[in-house]
Amino acid sequence: MQVTRAFKQAFLERMLLGFRATDVSSKSMSFQEKKSFIKLSADVAIAVARGSRKWTRGLIASVSKEQQKRLLPRVIPRKQYERLMKPCSSNSWKIPRSKKILRKSLRVSSTRRKKKLCAVEKRTRVLRRLVPGGESLSGFSLLDETLDYVLSLRAQVGLMQSLLMTCEASKRRAHELKCTSPETKASTVGNRGRCGMRTVVVKAEKQFSLLKKEF
Amino acid sequence: MGPARSSGVGSGNSGAYATEIAESLRFEEEIHSIVHPGLDSPPAAGGSFTALLGLPANQAVELLHETGPSEAPGSAAAPSPTGELWRLRLGEHAAGPLHLPLGCSPTFPSNVALVERAARFSVFAAEDSPALSSGGGPSPRLKAEPPDSDSPPTLLIPAEKTQRLAKRKECEKSKAKGPAKKSKSAEENTAAAAKETAAENTDGEKLPYVHVRARRGQATDSHSLAERARREKINARMKLLQELVPGCSKITGTALVLDEIINHVQSLQRQVEFLSMRLAAVNPRIDFGGLDSFLSAECGPLATANGRGGVALDPALWSSHPVTANGARWLPQPQIRHVDVWPTQQSSTAWTRDGAAHPHALLNPGAALFGYDPASSVSLNSNQLKTEL
Repeated sequence: MQVTRAFKQAFLERMLLGFRATDVSSKSMSFQEKKSFIKLSADVAIAVARGSRKWTRGLIASVSKEQQKRLLPRVIPRKQYERLMKPCSSNSWKIPRSKKILRKSLRVSSTRRKKKLCAVEKRTRVLRRLVPGGESLSGFSLLDETLDYVLSLRAQVGLMQSLLMTCEASKRRAHELKCTSPETKASTVGNRGRCGMRTVVVKAEKQFSLLKKEF
Repeated sequence: MGPARSSGVGSGNSGAYATEIAESLRFEEEIHSIVHPGLDSPPAAGGSFTALLGLPANQAVELLHETGPSEAPGSAAAPSPTGELWRLRLGEHAAGPLHLPLGCSPTFPSNVALVERAARFSVFAAEDSPALSSGGGPSPRLKAEPPDSDSPPTLLIPAEKTQRLAKRKECEKSKAKGPAKKSKSAEENTAAAAKETAAENTDGEKLPYVHVRARRGQATDSHSLAERARREKINARMKLLQELVPGCSKITGTALVLDEIINHVQSLQRQVEFLSMRLAAVNPRIDFGGLDSFLSAECGPLATANGRGGVALDPALWSSHPVTANGARWLPQPQIRHVDVWPTQQSSTAWTRDGAAHPHALLNPGAALFGYDPASSVSLNSNQLKTEL
């Protein structure tokens, strides 16, 4: 997998869509609820942007289980949801079977290489719990999905960091301007009004330019 | 036959190897045509090899010689270590034992050398490099037995070769099962390089059919072969993960590496939570409704966008911005696989430090960048004004 520009763009836009759909900007939410909705939007956005992988399906499945399909139809368009979750059904039958066989063979061979397998097995179990949808994955595909998942997590963290920074920067700027604007009250009102509007526009543009530049 | 089998291999492999396989096919046909024009090919695998065996030594040598240098341009496309190895091999063997048969006429010693070389080349033939005597390659698998049985006392076939041949037969039979296996050479000095190329080939691409040769002195039954292949796949993935996770490349041992990976994943997940909390704190001050309307105005409604990359955004819009110092750092670097662009948390302090500098630097360029038309800016104004002023 490559973290391409298109991927980041898609992620950003879906996240913003998710923000709008879950209405995080409203004043009527508690802090915890806002935080959970932001996290939800970000996770769903990264999963949808990545496409159809085992961990994305696991992630969306867990999210929909959590949300009981309240918000999900709004956050993800119907068509993409179907496309994402569809091919899972054919694989899921095979995977538990292969997992059983794997477990059996591991048990058999574990008597020979007990120590090594125990340590690795413990950690594999922990990793399975961490990676969404990792419960039913074999050793190789678990590593594969972990690889993919780590890349996507990094992209997610980076983008959220930059979004946060632009928001905070623009907030700081707005605050500074608000502080300085009383000083210019002596000058013409129209001037101040124009300044205010211009700075706001510029601020919005700057937010987007910062974000877009990262792509 | 060889070409058919090789074409099966070729079609199984990814497109990158298609050229090499095509060239190997061409060489095979060349050899076929030169060596035995009249031979029909029902067990056509045997044809070229027995023909080679039947040839006087010097002619076979010339054959191998001429295909060697002509293969060089073809091997330029192949991974270079393998290509060089080929040329090396040819040079060595051309210089060495083959001079012997030139003087004396018996076919057997030359056959031994030929068989050896053909066997060795067939190892690479199954991979991605242009197969020199890949025509000889498939054939030893089937027809080496009769020649061996023909002249058991005089043919000094090394034990490894028979082992390899036997394995190859097994591999072919078990090929129907279709596990992905990797070729290895039994030679010491080629083992390392072959392993490199083998690892290279398993890295990054999922080949449906890659053929395995068991190494010297290792179990040859299909179970252990399959196990070994599986272990190699897993080790390749582990190596990739090691490169990805910072500070993991020095660690040896699967358990510790897995430890690091787990820690990394947990830290990333915690970071996401933390960032979402901070965004929730910052959020009420910014009206994202304005941003969304901007997005939809600029690039069309996203709800109708299909596919994960199906963004209606004009890429030119994104790329047209002049690169400031900040942007230069944040622009995506060339997309090497598994190298990601985003700095990890270690550099977050750097970000916050520069965060103050950004608004000032970009305030003016920001206005110029977008080429807003007054209409949209006015609409934005009204949205923004609602919350800010």
